[in-house]
Amino acid sequence: MKLSKVDFYLDWPVSIEVIDLRKFIIGKMIKKGEIIRWSIVDIKESIDSPNLKKIRIQAVLANPSNSKT
Amino acid sequence: MEISPTIFIIPTGIGCEIGGFAGDSLPAAKLLGSASGCLITHPNVMNGGSLSEKHKDIFYVEGYSLDRFVKGEIGLKRVKQQKIGIIFDSSIEDEILIRHLQVADACVATLGIDVDSYILTKKPLEIVIGSNSQGISEGLIKNPDTLIEAGEILINKGITAIAIVAKFPDNLNLVATNSYREGSGVDPIAGVEAVISHLISKFLKVPCAHAPALSPIELNKNLDPRAASEEIGYTFLPSVLIGLSKAPDLIELTDTHENITLHPSQIESIVVPGGALGGEGVLAGIEKGLNIISVKNENIMNVDNRYFNYPKIFEVDNYLEAAGLILAMREGINPKSIKRPLNKIQELSRKNQQL
Repeated sequence: MKLSKVDFYLDWPVSIEVIDLRKFIIGKMIKKGEIIRWSIVDIKESIDSPNLKKIRIQAVLANPSNSKT
Repeated sequence: MEISPTIFIIPTGIGCEIGGFAGDSLPAAKLLGSASGCLITHPNVMNGGSLSEKHKDIFYVEGYSLDRFVKGEIGLKRVKQQKIGIIFDSSIEDEILIRHLQVADACVATLGIDVDSYILTKKPLEIVIGSNSQGISEGLIKNPDTLIEAGEILINKGITAIAIVAKFPDNLNLVATNSYREGSGVDPIAGVEAVISHLISKFLKVPCAHAPALSPIELNKNLDPRAASEEIGYTFLPSVLIGLSKAPDLIELTDTHENITLHPSQIESIVVPGGALGGEGVLAGIEKGLNIISVKNENIMNVDNRYFNYPKIFEVDNYLEAAGLILAMREGINPKSIKRPLNKIQELSRKNQQL
């Protein structure tokens, strides 16, 4: 098993309510690897669209999809 | 009086004014435990190096498992005593290892804790420490498999809870370390500690907690009282063993034959520092419609309710106020009735009502 740190921004559309936010994030992150630890570390209003927020996620993943293990 | 099961979270490695140091949120945990009659919290809240305390109303649950509990995946079962095994990172020097083994023996001899055996990892864990651009403590280990393999051996020998002691590099950033010790910085090793214990929780599903093994550091005369409990002894292991000794069993909710002391459906509230609403436990609590009590507790995060607009959030100034709020909820007293001004009740509109 290989661990990897990831730090990325995700678009949070207004159509996704806060009660569905966790599952929305997990759905996006699970494609990147097996989740060991994660958190939203920052949120900003998008400058591109009033219907979006930018969420910054920091995570530690096992066997990330871009690794060769 | 009925209990009001409450989760108490202070995320590790984000520099919280209360709870960002060495077990300095333990008094708040005891207060919230007494107010709620049932508090579920994690090692970062309870572990003060050489100091900790058992409390009849507090369940000690590692962070990854705590999140699983909030998500409704596991229940908690009270136990009389856990049978503890210790995993030592094989890169720990002999003298430091002996100090830790003597602590384990002391916990058996003096506290009556069942510390049964220990194992060394086949390979060094190889810790990598870092922090992100916001200053949040982070990191990982290069050899996670060797950690899991050691844990599997302990479990196969009948161990029911695991303490992990990892060797941290001697070349820790001295400026950051002293800043933390003097009360103005983020605990630089906290992020890696969380990763280590999360790995055991995720893959082995037993109670666990981590204590770092550090080489002795120079006396600091400007030590902040909140970091002082880590300066008492040679190791940080006592608080981990005390916490684990009565940590609840983690019961998969698919195991229907197991008795459960606390089911996730009983949780009523989550207490969390303001600005730190972005963790999985809090988001799972929001998903389930729990009360979120956001306490003013300065830290380096800014994920607060202005982005969430969650209606069941209570913003309070300190943990004393949080305890009063929980007690009101526990007694079935409307918190609004205690505050002024007191608004009149509202007439509902029939607009958009579906019949």
